[in-house]
Amino acid sequence: MLVELTVNGESRSANVPPETTLLKMLREHLDLTGAKLGCDVGDCGTCTVIVDGVSVNSCLMLAGRADGCDVTTIEGLATADELHPLQQKFEEHGALQCGFCGPGMLISAKNLLDNNPDPSVFEVRDALAGNLCRCTGYTKIIEAVIEAGEMMGQEQANV
Amino acid sequence: MATRVKDVQTNVEDLVTARETRAPSRQPLAVPIDQPVTFPLELPESEARLRTPAVGQRATRPDGRLHGLGQTQYIDDITFPHMLHAKILRSEYAHARIVSIDTSEAEKMPGVIATLTGAEVPENSFGPTYQDQPILAYPIARHRGDGVAAVAATTEQFALDALEKIKVEYEPLPAVYDPLEALEEDSPKVHGDTNIYTSKVIKKGDVEAGLAASEHVFERRFSTQMVEHVPLEPHATIASWDGNGRVSIWSSLGRITLGREDLARTLQMPQSRIRLIGTVVGGNFGGKNEITNEPIVALLSKKSRRPVKAIYSRGDEFVSSTIRHPFIMDYTTGVDSEGRILARKIRLVLDGGAYCSWTGTTIGKGSILAPGPYNIDNVLVEAYAVYTNKTTTGAMRGFGAPQVCFAYESQMDDIADALGIDPLEIRLRNGFSENSLSPTGQSLQSVALKESLTQAADRFRWKEWQA
Repeated sequence: MLVELTVNGESRSANVPPETTLLKMLREHLDLTGAKLGCDVGDCGTCTVIVDGVSVNSCLMLAGRADGCDVTTIEGLATADELHPLQQKFEEHGALQCGFCGPGMLISAKNLLDNNPDPSVFEVRDALAGNLCRCTGYTKIIEAVIEAGEMMGQEQANV
Repeated sequence: MATRVKDVQTNVEDLVTARETRAPSRQPLAVPIDQPVTFPLELPESEARLRTPAVGQRATRPDGRLHGLGQTQYIDDITFPHMLHAKILRSEYAHARIVSIDTSEAEKMPGVIATLTGAEVPENSFGPTYQDQPILAYPIARHRGDGVAAVAATTEQFALDALEKIKVEYEPLPAVYDPLEALEEDSPKVHGDTNIYTSKVIKKGDVEAGLAASEHVFERRFSTQMVEHVPLEPHATIASWDGNGRVSIWSSLGRITLGREDLARTLQMPQSRIRLIGTVVGGNFGGKNEITNEPIVALLSKKSRRPVKAIYSRGDEFVSSTIRHPFIMDYTTGVDSEGRILARKIRLVLDGGAYCSWTGTTIGKGSILAPGPYNIDNVLVEAYAVYTNKTTTGAMRGFGAPQVCFAYESQMDDIADALGIDPLEIRLRNGFSENSLSPTGQSLQSVALKESLTQAADRFRWKEWQA
C-alpha cells in the first residue's frame, strides 16, 4: 500500500506491505534509522517519534495509520548550522552513554518542551516515563532536559 | 567469433545514440530529497569536552553528539545488498531429547533461502570456562531458551512464518528447576552425574570455635532473584561469508578477541579467516560477553551465500541470553556483646541455569566478597554452582558481588537491631581499615571505608534522622 506522509518537513512516500509499522517504514523504506527497535511491544520507547504533535511508539503504529500525518524523528531536530538545545545539553551533561535510548528520549523531551517550555522535574519524569534507559540512571537526562528548556526560553526571549 | 574492443565501443555508441534519438528525456517520477538527514558538520567541540579531563571535572563522551543526533550506527542500522534475516526456533521443553528435526516444509516457504540445525555446526559447543553450551541444541535441549533450528529468509516475517513449519520431535526428560533440589542425589541431572559444576571454599581461622565463643549467633537465609540485563539494543549480528572462504561478522559482542577464538573453534576454521567487527554496542552490562548467534548467522551466510542479519527479539533476549545468578545464601554470624563479629559461616548456592558461562568468575568474586568489608578472624565460605533446566546465568555487573552484599548488609542491620546498636556504628566497629586482612589474607591498602561511611552519613544527616 502507498503511504504518504510528511517527515521532518519533507513529503515522503513509500509502497509498503500492509503489516509494516511506522517504525519499519521509517527505518527500512525511508532510510531514517535514528528511531530504534528495542522491544517491538511499546515498552522501551526507543522507537518514539512525534506524529501530529503526539509522541508515539512507532513500533505499535501501522504505517498506514500515519498516512497523511506530520512526523518528526530525531533526524529532524538539528539544522545544518546548529544542534537542537536538547542535543547540546544532552551532550554537555553526558546524558547518553550507550546512546540507544537517545533518539526516543530526545523526541519525548522535545514534545514535552514544545508544549511546556518550563517543566518541573516531576513533569519531565512524567513525559519520559515511556522511555527506558539502562545506563544513566536518568539523573543527567532530567538535568539536560530542564536546562534545554531554560535555553529555549532564553532564545525565545532574545528574539 | 571473438569480440574486439572496437566492436564493443561501436555497440555502446550505437546504443547511446539510439536512446538519445528515440527516447524522449524523462523527468524522474519523484525528485529524491537531497538531504534526508540534516546535522551540522563543522561545529566546535562543546565547551564541556574542552575542559581538562581531570578528577572532579565533568566528563563528556566523544560519541555523545552522534548519539544525540541519532547518527550512531548500531548493527540493526547497517544493511547489505541481498541481505537475509535469520530467526531461531527455541526448544518446546525445558529438558528433552531431540529425536528428529524436519526443516523440509520450512524450506518450501516463500522467501526462505537456508535453514540450519545443530547437527550441521562443525563443533557444536562453546563457553568461556567449560564448553558445555551448544550453538543449536542437539541432541539434548536443556532449557526453553536453547535454539534448535534457524531459518534465513528474505524478510523477518518470512523467517518467522517458516519457523512454524519446522517439525521437531521431542522426547521430554525430567527437569529440575530449584537449585536446592538440584543438589540432591536423586534429582534429574542436567549434564553428567552431578549438577554441581563449580565450587569454592574460603577458610580463615576456626569458624566453629569462633561461633562457640560468640555471645550472640545470628542465622538467616537470604535469596536473590534472576535478573536480565535488558540492554536496549538486543543481541545483533550480521555475517557475510565471501567467495574467498573468509567470513566477516559484525557483532554486538563486547569481547571480540575471545569471540573470534570461540568462532574459530565452533566453525572449525583458522582465526585468520574470520574478521570480527565489534560495533557500537547499545548496552552490554555483561550480557554480551560471549558469542550467541554469531556462528548460526555465519553458517546461514555460508549456506545461502548472502549476508545474513539476526536481531534477537526481546523475548529471545529474556529466555536465551544470559542473566544474573540467583543466590541462596545461608549466613551464620557470631558477635560479642559489643556487636564485633567473631565468626561468619556462609553457604552459597548459585542457580547456574543450563550452562556454565561466566560462573567461574561469579562464584570466585561472590565467595571472596561474601563475608563483607569487615574484620573477621574466623570465616568459612562454601559455595556451589548448580545446573538447573533454566535460562543460563553469566556475567552481570559485579559478578556475584551485589547478591552477597544484599545478604551481609541485611544481616548487619539484623544484628544492630537485636543488640540496640546504631547501624552506622556497628559498621564502623567492624569495618576494614588500613592494612586489614581480607578473607583470603590479602593486606588491604588505601582503605577509605570508614571515612566514606562517615562522610556519607553526614551528607544525608543520618544522626538527625536517628534522633
